[in-house]
Amino acid sequence: MKQLICYLLATILLLSCKKEGCTDDNALNYNPEAEVNNGSCQYYDVTPYTIITPSGFPDMIIPENNPTTLEGIALGEKLFNDPILSSNNTLSCVDCHIKNSSFSDPNQLSIGIDGFLGNRNASTLINLGWNSSFNWDGSAKTLEEQAFEPVTNTLEMHNTWENVENTLNSNSEYLSLFKQSFNINYIDSVHIVKAIAQYERSLVSANSKFDKFYRGEESLTLSELNGYAIYNSEQGDCFHCHGTLLFTDNLFHNNGLDSEEPFADIGLAEVSNNPLDNGKFKTPTLRNIEYSAPYMHDGRFATLEEVVTHYNEGGHYSSTVDPLMKKLGIGLQLTNQDLADLVNFLKTLSDKEYISEK
Amino acid sequence: MKETIQTLFITSLIIMTFSSCEKPNQTDLTINFTHTVDAEELTTNSMIYSNSAGENYDVRTLKYLISDITLHAENGNEIILSDIHFIDISEESTFSFTVEDFPNNNYTSISYKMGLDTIKNTNNLHINESYHSAMVWPETNGGGYHYMKLEGAYNNDSTFYNTHTGGTMGGDYSFNNVDNISLTIDDDLGDVSININMEINNWYNSPNQIDFSSYGMGIMMNMMMQMDIKMNGITDVFSVDIICTK
Ligand code: HEC
Ligand code: HEC
Repeated sequence: MKQLICYLLATILLLSCKKEGCTDDNALNYNPEAEVNNGSCQYYDVTPYTIITPSGFPDMIIPENNPTTLEGIALGEKLFNDPILSSNNTLSCVDCHIKNSSFSDPNQLSIGIDGFLGNRNASTLINLGWNSSFNWDGSAKTLEEQAFEPVTNTLEMHNTWENVENTLNSNSEYLSLFKQSFNINYIDSVHIVKAIAQYERSLVSANSKFDKFYRGEESLTLSELNGYAIYNSEQGDCFHCHGTLLFTDNLFHNNGLDSEEPFADIGLAEVSNNPLDNGKFKTPTLRNIEYSAPYMHDGRFATLEEVVTHYNEGGHYSSTVDPLMKKLGIGLQLTNQDLADLVNFLKTLSDKEYISEK
Repeated sequence: MKETIQTLFITSLIIMTFSSCEKPNQTDLTINFTHTVDAEELTTNSMIYSNSAGENYDVRTLKYLISDITLHAENGNEIILSDIHFIDISEESTFSFTVEDFPNNNYTSISYKMGLDTIKNTNNLHINESYHSAMVWPETNGGGYHYMKLEGAYNNDSTFYNTHTGGTMGGDYSFNNVDNISLTIDDDLGDVSININMEINNWYNSPNQIDFSSYGMGIMMNMMMQMDIKMNGITDVFSVDIICTK
C-alpha cells in the first residue's frame, strides 16, 4: 500500500514538470508548447441535424463516423455546387445533377471536363440516404465512397485528390468552413466526401401528390387511380421492383431492355463478377420521374410514354431477364387509356417543392 | 476495509472455482432451412425439375417468411426460437440461426408457421427489417407482406412462373406446422441442429395439381389459388429432422 502511494506521488511529480495545456492541434486553443493535455481543449460546436424520417419510410442508416450537422450539410452543398473540385475549375456536381431535373442530367449522357461523353445517364439524386448501394451497377456501398469517384473519373471531373486538397487548403473560406464543420485544420479527401454525403442525405422528398393522397390529404383523379391499380398489382407488376414508399426495392434486375448478348454494359456483373448478373441494374426510384428524363441506365428512352410502351410490349428475352418480367413475349396488353393512366400515375410522384429554389 | 477486501477476494475465488468446474455443458441449438425438389437438394437456375402437370421448370428466386418457430416441452414449457425468420435462397446467411445455451428439457414437438398470421401481417409493421422491401405486399391488395416468392422459368427459358403467396385481399393463408420430435437436451447432449425442409415440388402436386401454364402469370389476386397452395403446403411441403453433433 505504501509503495503504491509512493508511485502515485512520483508520477504526479513527473507530470507537473511538463507544461500543461491543450495538445490537440485541431482545437481552437491548441498550445504547441503544451506537453500534457489538461482537458482544456475547446472546439467549434457543431449543430446536430436530425433528418426526419417521413412516415412509411424505414429509418435512415447514417454512418456513425459521419453524423449529420447543419454546418456539414451547408459545406456539402457548397462543394456540390462549386467547380473547384474539377481540375480546370469548370464543372461541378450540379452541372450533371441539375436541380430542375431532380438532380439528374437531361442529356442522355453527360459531358465531362475534357468534352468526352460518359457511358451512363446521370442518376437522379433523391432520398439517397435510404439506398443500400450507389451507381447503376451498385459499385459504391456508401455515399461517402460514391463521392470519391466523380472527382477523379477521367470522363467527369478528371482531377486528383492531391490537387483538390491543395486547392482547398489554400482557400481561406474553405479552411474556416471545414474547421467549423469538423474541427480540422487540414482539409483532406475524407472530410470532403463526408460533407458532400451529409448534404446528399438531407435531400429528402416525400411531398408529392401521391404522398398527399397516401396521407389522406388529397385525392387522385380516376385516371391516376387506374394507373395506380395497374402499377400496384400483377397487371402492370411495377410494384415488385419499384415498391414501397421509396419506389425501389434497392435490388438489381434485368428488366428486359436488350436481347443481344453480350450486353454493351453488363451492369452489376462488373461488380459481382457473376455472369448470372449480366445486364442487371439497380432499380431506380420512380420519385420525380417526370423531371428526370431521359430514362434507363443509358438514357435510351426520352419519355415516360416510351418507358411504359417498353413494359407493355413485355420486354426482350435474354438469358438473365428477371422472372418477374413474366409477360415476356405476350406483353401486359394494356389499352392506350391504361398506358396514359399509368403515366398519369407516375406523374403523381412529382414533388415540385423538391426541385424549386429555396 | 481490510476485511471487506479479503471477503471480496475469497468470494471471487469461490465463484471462479464454481464456474470453471461445475459449469454444465451447454447446448447450442441451430435451426437450418433446407430445400429439396423430389428429395434432392435444390439446384437453382437449372431446368431439371418437373411438376405433376408434366411441366419442366427451374427455380431462380425463393424468398419466404417463417414465423413463430417454437419448441414445446413435455412439461408444457414453450420456447419461441424466432418470431419471424426470412430465408432468401441467394443469401447463405439466411439459411440458419443459432440459439445459444438452450435450456435443458424434454422437447416433444416443434411448431412453425409458413407466412405471417393476421396480427403480424399488417402494413409497414416490419419496416426496418431487411426483408421489408423485398417482401412487401401491395396495400391495394390487402397489404402486409408476401409469405413467399417462388419464381423461375418453365418449359423453356423465356416463359416464367411467379408463385407469390400472401394475404390476398386481407385474407389469412398462413398455416401452422407441428412436428413431433424426441429431443432431450441435457448436460451431455452437445450441440444440436433441427432442419426444417421445404420440398418445393410439393407446392404444386397434391391434393391440388397446379400447372404453370394456367397460374404462372400470377396468383396474388386469386383467393382460390392461395387456398389451394395453402392446402398443398399443409399436406407435405415441410418436414423436420434432428441432428445431434456429439
Ligand atoms: C460529368 C457528369 C457528372 C458529374 C460532374 C458528377 N456526376 Fe454523379 N453521376 C453521373 C453519372 C453518369 C452517374 C451514374 C454513374 C454510374 O452509374 O456508373 C452518376 C451517379 C451519381 C450518384 C449515384 C446515385 C444513385 O442513386 O446511385 C451520386 C450519389 C452522384 N453521382 C453524386 C455526384 C457528386 C457528389 C458529384 C460531385 C462530386 C457528382 N456526382 C458529379 C454524372 C456526373
Ligand atoms: C423486374 C423488375 C422491374 C419491373 C417489374 C419494373 N421495373 Fe422499371 N426498372 C427496373 C430496372 C432494373 C430499371 C433500370 C434498368 C436499366 O436502366 O437498365 C427500371 C427503370 C424504370 C424506369 C426509368 C427510371 C430512370 O430513372 O431512368 C421507369 C420510368 C420504370 N422503370 C417504370 C416502370 C413501370 C411503370 C413498371 C411497370 C409497368 C416497371 N418499371 C416495372 C426494374 C423493374
